[in-house]
Amino acid sequence: MFKPQSMEKVELIIPEHQVVRTTEALAASGVFHPIPSTQITVRTPARGIDEWQAWTADLVALEHRILVVMEELKISEGPPPTQTPHIIEPQVAQRDIERLELEAENPIRELEAAQRRLTQLQKYVSQLAPIADLDADLGSLRDLRYTFVMLGSMPIANVERLENSLEHTPFVLVTLRREGHLATVMLFGLQEDAAVLNRAARSAYLNPLMLPEDYRGTPAQTIAALQAGIERTQQHIAESEREIARLHKMRVRHLRHLLWRVRASRILARTINGYDHLQHTYLVTGWVPAASRAKLEQEIAKVSDKVVVETLKPRMEDIGRIPAALKNPPLVSGFQGLVTTYGQPNYDELDPTPVLALTFPLVFGIMFGDVGHGLLLLLVGLLLISRKIRPLQSVASFGMVIAACGAMAMVFGFLYGSLFGFEDVLKAVWIHPLENITDVLLFTVAVGAVLLSLGMVYSMLNAALAKHWGRLIFNRNGLAGLVFYWSILGIVVNTFGVAVPIPGSVLGILLVVSGSGLTFAEFFEHLVEKHRPLVEGSIGTYVVLAFFELFETLISLLSNTLSYVRMGAFAVAHGALSLVVFIIAEFAGGKGSIGYWIVVILGNLFVIGFEGMIVGIQTLRLEYYEFFSKFFYGGGAPFRPLSLILKSEE
Amino acid sequence: MVRSAVTAYASVNATTRALYSTLLTPEVRHALIQSPNFDVLLTQLDKTVYGPYLKINRELLTPRRTAFQLRLHLAHVYEKLIRITPEPGQQLLIQLWRLYEVNNLKAALRGIETGASWDEVLHLLSPMFHYIILTTDDIQRMLAAGSIVRAIERIRHTPYYDTLIHAVARYEAEKNLFPLEVALDLDYRRGLWQGIENLTGMDHEQALRLVGTEIDADNLLWAIRYRVYHHLSVQEIINYTLPFGYQVRDEDIRAIAEGGDIITVVKRVYPRIETLEDVPAQTREEISPQRRQLALIERALHRHITDLCYRTFIGNPFHIGIPLAYIMLLERELQDLTTVVEANASQLPIERLASIIDIEWW
Repeated sequence: MFKPQSMEKVELIIPEHQVVRTTEALAASGVFHPIPSTQITVRTPARGIDEWQAWTADLVALEHRILVVMEELKISEGPPPTQTPHIIEPQVAQRDIERLELEAENPIRELEAAQRRLTQLQKYVSQLAPIADLDADLGSLRDLRYTFVMLGSMPIANVERLENSLEHTPFVLVTLRREGHLATVMLFGLQEDAAVLNRAARSAYLNPLMLPEDYRGTPAQTIAALQAGIERTQQHIAESEREIARLHKMRVRHLRHLLWRVRASRILARTINGYDHLQHTYLVTGWVPAASRAKLEQEIAKVSDKVVVETLKPRMEDIGRIPAALKNPPLVSGFQGLVTTYGQPNYDELDPTPVLALTFPLVFGIMFGDVGHGLLLLLVGLLLISRKIRPLQSVASFGMVIAACGAMAMVFGFLYGSLFGFEDVLKAVWIHPLENITDVLLFTVAVGAVLLSLGMVYSMLNAALAKHWGRLIFNRNGLAGLVFYWSILGIVVNTFGVAVPIPGSVLGILLVVSGSGLTFAEFFEHLVEKHRPLVEGSIGTYVVLAFFELFETLISLLSNTLSYVRMGAFAVAHGALSLVVFIIAEFAGGKGSIGYWIVVILGNLFVIGFEGMIVGIQTLRLEYYEFFSKFFYGGGAPFRPLSLILKSEE
Repeated sequence: MVRSAVTAYASVNATTRALYSTLLTPEVRHALIQSPNFDVLLTQLDKTVYGPYLKINRELLTPRRTAFQLRLHLAHVYEKLIRITPEPGQQLLIQLWRLYEVNNLKAALRGIETGASWDEVLHLLSPMFHYIILTTDDIQRMLAAGSIVRAIERIRHTPYYDTLIHAVARYEAEKNLFPLEVALDLDYRRGLWQGIENLTGMDHEQALRLVGTEIDADNLLWAIRYRVYHHLSVQEIINYTLPFGYQVRDEDIRAIAEGGDIITVVKRVYPRIETLEDVPAQTREEISPQRRQLALIERALHRHITDLCYRTFIGNPFHIGIPLAYIMLLERELQDLTTVVEANASQLPIERLASIIDIEWW
């Protein structure tokens, strides 16, 4: 739990004809992290690398076609499958998708055509509306002997240009209506200029009103006929939509299944394309947690007894590249996201998740101590964990963090005697922060000192794991740093008259010894780790720099410690904010009135939402910048076992 | 006012000047043109600001893919400058950037018309990541639609829809993409003009001088092409051109449309521009007079714009003109670079190349 799982580097020799089933088995095992190919590729006439590349390209295109059909039938992708879907060959998938496309094509096309027709008919009505009172047959307007008449719509931006272009031609252009970016216009001119007028109108994007044959008569009659047409088209649209809904219902499972099969096949093809390929075999290397090696072999044995699994000795270039597989119990793993947001732990580094799972709620609870507020957070956290609310499923992983923070806020709520801001309902097990500000601030400084020391202990453990003995002893976050820090704390506490079990003279000696160790840390570290030269650059510069570094260490230790005072300040602020809510509530109608309770409820919600968010950010800040910076380096490679089910980050 | 312009454009100016220094020097341009083969050309390009974009498997670097990779630089420059430029100048830069979106849309429409696959179209597109309306996914969905009308339906959520759906009636009647493309071009330039009009003071002045001149050049060249190559009527030429510009007036367009002497019109707008009459007689004989005329005018206008861009960097630098001028220079560099890449890959002799790009500038 405290350290990433021990990893083994394995090499698999897979006979060419078993590569698909073996890759499926590797994915099914869920424990194999493949390493990219080293390009030992030999092209063979059989299914070689080119074919897998072609598979990948074909499957990408097919996936896109499936998504288009799904979109047309209003089918969502749905949740990823729980079991790896079976692989499908592109040719088979293509036949299937062609059938589905064909099936969906007619109703979709009909719907689109009907929608276009509806838009067109509505546009006709809109164009005819301004001349609805005209008592003349529209057909007769087209066949006038001496006058050219064109009714139509055109972009408003082109109207002036059209007028301009006809400068030397007699014409009248009447704008009947403007709607959106289009204008309904009537262009009049001489029939002898029809050719010029037609070309001009066309180039100005004046689309003439071309009513279908069945719409005749006066504008009023035509509008009535068009309205009837609109109704018929709307019925047609409803029918098409019903047909699409039927297809949706009938094909939803099939399409989703096909989509995930194609995706799995695409990932498989891409994975195999990345393998090293010899004449008749594939060479695959990767990492597997040592504890899961047997599981991997078991899965492979299920599909083939010809695959050879060999353990490889990690090489120099593997250092720093070994993936870190974090394994934490469910209560702790919810905090893993907070750790990886800061940095991915290195393989040879302690996993800070367990200690974060302990300290994060503690720090939050100190700042947000209230039984009622904590209870609400706990309930919200548990609701997220239950995944009962679909839109919040994506943030379910934070449920544990919120629940733990809520629980710890409740614990401190009992210690502070605070319930939904009421300080007189519960008896404080410890103190009311608002009445004992100095005690709370000193307490939080003490908590900060403990947390910083814990960070240094973690740093020493990390140095021991990496066998950096010099760093372990002399580093500012190592033994020398820890002794230096506690010596200062002891002396400060002693100065204020608090009894310390260690005599002042001993503390002084410890301070000088650890301080000297820190001052010449680089020299001692090089000495212990047999690194030469012992001192980089000139001795004079080194001494000056060493002195300033000691000074900087002292300042940063003090500022790191004082940074934790904010915990006390927020604990006090939490009480003060609640007090403000009650003062406003009193103004809203006096104790016990409806107005009073409305303000109390809204005020509490505000405190939970607003202050809860600020306290959350401050907690994260203290963890990341004061605590993690003492021991956590990050920059490791995450363990990404092969999976044929598309993950969101792909 | 001046102080606020200084504050607003301080970082834009500093960033643009840093980027300006990465434009190809005449020595590099010369070396690129002289590259004996495609491999040497790529090696030369590797050492320039385009180098990081070419760090992919060499086998994949076909001329088309190379041009695509080079355009990645333009995308990053646009995005960087748009991000740091204050409003309303930012809107003008976004509108300028939208030209590539319009071109991508046109490429998609052409792809649908010719039945091209996504792979064939992909690297013809300009890579665009931010400040876009039309995503790569939209274009892919358009190509999958199978017909122009269905493809347009698939971009209903974009402002291009209204323009295209109105013009589609003409496409259906004429079975030609020309009306769709012209509608897009006109709409784009109207937006650009609106972007200039939204600016005030020095910003307006500079944008009008640079972008307005570019709009002028497009307008003038369109009018000439419509008359010389497409033989369109006066009314059509006027309707397919723009009623606004910096120096080009409506009467200039009308004069060209009505068959007036092109050189007279061009000389009236740009008295110092070099035209056919200014070129030695022996050079004049090489190509047909009309093409020669148009090519010369085109080159002269480009030189004029390039000159304007360079001159923008002299004097008060706290205005939108600085990023505009740099971007226009970079666009020109990329246009020519694409030509050089394609010419080199097809082993086109330098003499032929000289008829396509402004070799003297190179």
